[in-house]
Amino acid sequence: MTATIARQQIVSLLRQRTFVVLLATLIVMTALAGVLGWSSHHTIVGVYDEAVKLLASRGDPAPPNPFLLKPTLALLSNMVVYIPFIGALLALVLGHLSLVDDETVGRLIFSRRISRTEYMIGKIVGAAIVLVAILLASLAVSTISLAIVNRTMPTGADLGRLAAFYALSWLYLMVFVLIGMVTVLVTRRRSLALLSAMGAWLVITFAFPQITSGLRPTQSLNPIVDPASTSQAFFRFTAKARPYSIVEQYKAASASILRTAGTESTTSILRQVAPLLGLSIVLAVVGIGLVDRHDYSSGSNDE
Amino acid sequence: MGNHVMTETEQPSAPAIELEALCHSYGDTEVLRHIDLRIEHGEIFGFLGHNGAGKTTAVNILTTLIAPTAGTAKVCGFDVAAQRHEVTSRIGYLPADVRMYPHLTARENVEFFAKLSGVKKPSTAVDETFEYLSCSDLADKRVGSFSTGMRQRVGIAQAIVHRPQVLFLDEPTSGLDPVGVRQLRETIIRLNADLGMTVFMNTHLLSEVAKVCTTIGVLDHGELIYKDTIAATTERFPDETSLEDIYVRMERSAS
Repeated sequence: MTATIARQQIVSLLRQRTFVVLLATLIVMTALAGVLGWSSHHTIVGVYDEAVKLLASRGDPAPPNPFLLKPTLALLSNMVVYIPFIGALLALVLGHLSLVDDETVGRLIFSRRISRTEYMIGKIVGAAIVLVAILLASLAVSTISLAIVNRTMPTGADLGRLAAFYALSWLYLMVFVLIGMVTVLVTRRRSLALLSAMGAWLVITFAFPQITSGLRPTQSLNPIVDPASTSQAFFRFTAKARPYSIVEQYKAASASILRTAGTESTTSILRQVAPLLGLSIVLAVVGIGLVDRHDYSSGSNDE
Repeated sequence: MGNHVMTETEQPSAPAIELEALCHSYGDTEVLRHIDLRIEHGEIFGFLGHNGAGKTTAVNILTTLIAPTAGTAKVCGFDVAAQRHEVTSRIGYLPADVRMYPHLTARENVEFFAKLSGVKKPSTAVDETFEYLSCSDLADKRVGSFSTGMRQRVGIAQAIVHRPQVLFLDEPTSGLDPVGVRQLRETIIRLNADLGMTVFMNTHLLSEVAKVCTTIGVLDHGELIYKDTIAATTERFPDETSLEDIYVRMERSAS
């Protein structure tokens, strides 16, 4: 039953224009991250080559190419920004579209043998698979971009780090898929559900980081580092709240995985991932609980 | 048409539908009050009543969408609250204003519901059902582009694809043109005759009830005020010329 629900959902989602447009936007943004990386690489290398020529004409030794000092995956650091913006929006819509039609179709579904828990698990699995497919497409575009910019295929280690980054992104985006689903179950109305989900996205992506580290402008830069300790009570509070700002945890963990902000231990990365995992589990359990109590008998979503 | 459902399909000795002191409330509002009703296998039962009488609530309980507040409701001898799995294996349901997944084709929609009902060979069952309902031409079109009548035909297909023993139809004629109403009437009669399906139909269209139903029940403000066969009903009210007149008289006496 779970597989049937998941399969139906995948087919239905891939045929919805809104979803396809957002998916295309994410892929374009991924390609854009590569283009920006290439542009930056091209400009700096051009300036470097001119400098090398100038220094050579004076008989001075040339410094090493700055790109040789940077991690190869740094070219994709813009992805760490695009995923919480465009990716999260796509994930919200994905979660919303996964359940919203069932406000009217639910009467037919639940007059069948399927249990509500099986149904919700099927929906979550379906959305998770669609998200994997989206991120695999984005991973492929990223790999091609890296190969073009660096003029060589990424190493196995780089590909491993890139895969780990996309796995982390999947977990991060699942939070938003589940928020999209939960808001449908709580509000019932199409427009209100989407507005509520967008509200949650705004709070998580913009408002909460402003309270935690956005108050310290230098720490708003991407990737951000842990706030310095301070004696002021307010900043002590914001520093304590920071682990619960999932967008910051995502950016910090991504920076560590891509090695664009120094290296952190695996334990430290796992500590950053834990709030994401915890929130996903809580939202999934809440979703299952809400479906169990949801009234599918009226067959209307008021729109 | 063959039987496609994996569960046992023997006709149980229990009645098709049995309600005992069935009550339902939404908050403080009592919608159904101590309903006792027994419908035998093979009947086509017309459930009549004014808007808000509680007809749809009764169907929602019988299709396991909501649980009764008090009393019991059984389908084919199985309790709708305690034996949901057994009940849902034996029923088909066509709600008023049926909606399906607009981005899927009629075939994909009906196949989806066939799978949810545990049909062994869903693809074959869907083909046979479309053929039986003479709507194979709709099979590969997306439901989102369908008119009310087309949606209704696909809605019936999803309701019978697993060959249920009891078919619930909630205001099945709403939004249909006269041709659609006639097609629906013929389909109900065929399903009852060919497959022996018991049909439980909520409706306001009394002319159709007179042509299709074998038995009627009248619900008034949550209370069942009348239940008998169509033949016995016309005998009981010899002064009235139509079922509509009989119904209006019952409603007036009740109020």
